[in-house]
Amino acid sequence: MDLGAKYAYLLEDEDVRPWCMNKIIVVNYDKCTGCKTCEAVCSLVHEGRINPSESRINVVKYEDTGINIPVFCQKCGDPACVAVCPMDAIIVDDYLGTYIDYSRCIGCKMCILACPIGGVSLHPANKKIIMCDMCKGDPQCVKSCPEQALEYVDVGKLSVKKRREGLEKLAKFLEMAKI
Amino acid sequence: MNGYTGRILFVNLSDNSVRILPTEKYIEQFVGGRGIAVKLLYELTPKNVDPLSPENALIFMTGPLTGTIVPSSGRIDVVSKSPQTNLLGGSNAGGFFGPELKYAGYDGIVVTGRASSTVCIDIYNDSIEIKSAENLSGKGVFDTVKALRKKDEDTQVACIGPAGERLVNLSGIAFSMRNYAARCGFGAVMGSKNLKAIAVRGTRGLDVAVPDQLKQVADEMRERIKATPSYKEFPEWYHKLFRVLEADAKTFFGNYDDALWDGRFEAYENAEKFVKGAELKLQSCFGCPLRCWAYISVRNVGKASVVACQGTLTSIVNFAKIKDFNKVWEAYILCQDMGLDISGTSATIAFAMDLYSKGILSKNQVNNLELTFGDGNAFVSLVKKIAGKEGIGGLLAEGVKKASEKLGEAAKKLAVYAKGGQELWLMEIRPFKGVALSCAVTDSGSHNRATYGLCEFYYRSMKTQAETVARNIVGTEEAAQPTKYEYKPKLVAAYEDIHILADSLGVCSIPFMPVGLELWAKAYTASTGRETLPKTLMTAAERIRTLERLFNIREGLTRRDDTIAERMFNEPLKEGPWKGEALDKIMFEKMIDEYYSLRGWDSDGKPKPETLKRLGLESICA
Repeated sequence: MDLGAKYAYLLEDEDVRPWCMNKIIVVNYDKCTGCKTCEAVCSLVHEGRINPSESRINVVKYEDTGINIPVFCQKCGDPACVAVCPMDAIIVDDYLGTYIDYSRCIGCKMCILACPIGGVSLHPANKKIIMCDMCKGDPQCVKSCPEQALEYVDVGKLSVKKRREGLEKLAKFLEMAKI
Repeated sequence: MNGYTGRILFVNLSDNSVRILPTEKYIEQFVGGRGIAVKLLYELTPKNVDPLSPENALIFMTGPLTGTIVPSSGRIDVVSKSPQTNLLGGSNAGGFFGPELKYAGYDGIVVTGRASSTVCIDIYNDSIEIKSAENLSGKGVFDTVKALRKKDEDTQVACIGPAGERLVNLSGIAFSMRNYAARCGFGAVMGSKNLKAIAVRGTRGLDVAVPDQLKQVADEMRERIKATPSYKEFPEWYHKLFRVLEADAKTFFGNYDDALWDGRFEAYENAEKFVKGAELKLQSCFGCPLRCWAYISVRNVGKASVVACQGTLTSIVNFAKIKDFNKVWEAYILCQDMGLDISGTSATIAFAMDLYSKGILSKNQVNNLELTFGDGNAFVSLVKKIAGKEGIGGLLAEGVKKASEKLGEAAKKLAVYAKGGQELWLMEIRPFKGVALSCAVTDSGSHNRATYGLCEFYYRSMKTQAETVARNIVGTEEAAQPTKYEYKPKLVAAYEDIHILADSLGVCSIPFMPVGLELWAKAYTASTGRETLPKTLMTAAERIRTLERLFNIREGLTRRDDTIAERMFNEPLKEGPWKGEALDKIMFEKMIDEYYSLRGWDSDGKPKPETLKRLGLESICA
């Protein structure tokens, strides 16, 4: 399926455009209970079935310490996946971030190797490259997260205070992991 | 197939054979999970099968909702003949093993036979390998899980600890790092098959019939769960639990003879201080909004998961009267690592401590341990001895009832257990007539599997809610009063059916009631594409309940077995909020009569022919 065509309306429709513009999914690590609801919902929405291996978001669990971190495409500013793609199959869009143009993708998996955080993965059955497309600006994982560990926020509103809070929490977890 | 994977994996460890059979023929009558597992056990085992023989089947079964996006759908049911009670056994666990098994393409695993040396079953989608696990033999649960996850961190593991390997009756099956099918001695069944572990990794996924509808129903369920008053309290449950038990007047201390232990408030405070001073990380099982467990990390003491369950940490404190929470924590982690049922182990140790204090067990008999209540070190030593069946541990590993029979009349008089001889889940039952009835009639001998959350439980702390539930089920608020015998059979039967449905659909029984049967039926239809009504599901629950009874009748159970330890009748509570309460034999038998008739069973507890016909079970009894 050509995602570019699928989302063409977003580029044309003035009412929808501002809504998903410059928004990103933010993880509150301390709130994530590791229940994997996001994985189940993601695969259901995108694939019509339930399979964490087909999900665009994956919760990495450290069961020794109880730390759970959902990992997904971060919509980088200068994406490594785009740089290495030999077919220019990863489109960078102002509104949707990066997405895959399947009409060009040859499934070489270079993007998977290049992504520094494992945000791109391979569909286990049809071997297609999959990455988060933010559900056309209405991410269902965010909606279903029972703990609000995932938030869909405007980049501009991520205040300095929020960043500091995040780093302090992260430092605390790293400390915990060392015990 | 939708909702189900449609395939059940059969592994015979005697000849290393592996077969895959369709689930389809069991679905209409027995739904899934517990229902199908009981049916399979009935079919596969010969009459009077020895629980620890190769002929016994160990059955892990998921339900049609397990691993879907429906909330709290991480459950897997384990069924086998129990070595502890010699009757049908059942235990249910959460976590992530059930969903992973379904994603690998199996609704369940049935293990029979006995391997010639320690093995593990390694499943990765269609690849099923029976591998040597000699290197894991003797290893604790935590090390075993870690070893089996080396290749792939997302692997889910079901395994036993050293206690299961040594066929300890008090051992359970661990699911990855924290979930346990703890009760009924299934660790020993797995150990008797020389099966150390099952490792599962699945990437095939699960088809569902109507994705949009399923998502809608799941969203609605999640909202309902989050709207319940107790939802907000779960994150604080760890230190609140002692006070909650106290507020509901369910607590007792020692071997059921001390309702007002004067050290209890100090013990509670120590527990609260310990938990509050620890790093706490709330966790949930698959798809669950409840976050009813947490990882706790305490500097210099250790880290592990703890669940908000009265059968675990609270059990150690209440049974053994240990004030030093550091010791409680040590014992708690040790029990988990050894693969022991903490409820049963604590009850058995309290029983031993009681016998020792009364001189029934001599110092020599207990290997020179100073077995006094409150001594954390003695508790830890005994846990090790039980897990290893060393010295006195060999006797205690049998559990309270069997140990008491070997020790003679004086010990027998002090023993407390439910039907078949399984230790009770932590709570005083003399004032709680419904729970007492459930302990006696339930066919797995475990009342938390039968009627967990009975509205009697919280009558004192949440009277209005308890009365509302009672009114909805029985039609009168009086049914919620713990000490009333009236209406209890109906209440118990209704709760049993609800539990059976939760266990059979593959979801957790805690949110089952607040969500309501209507929505569960909708979720079943959306997931499987099979139209169903709440009424049809309730009939299935009745059918499963009656089949459980038929299994036990086949194994020789009669009405006389439907009882609990004599002490609960003969010894009224000496103090506390329920002073003077004991079970009344005549009223108790009356409850059993009424319960049987509600179930359509005759006065000996045997299902009547018309009941079997109505439930479509005639062919089974032929």
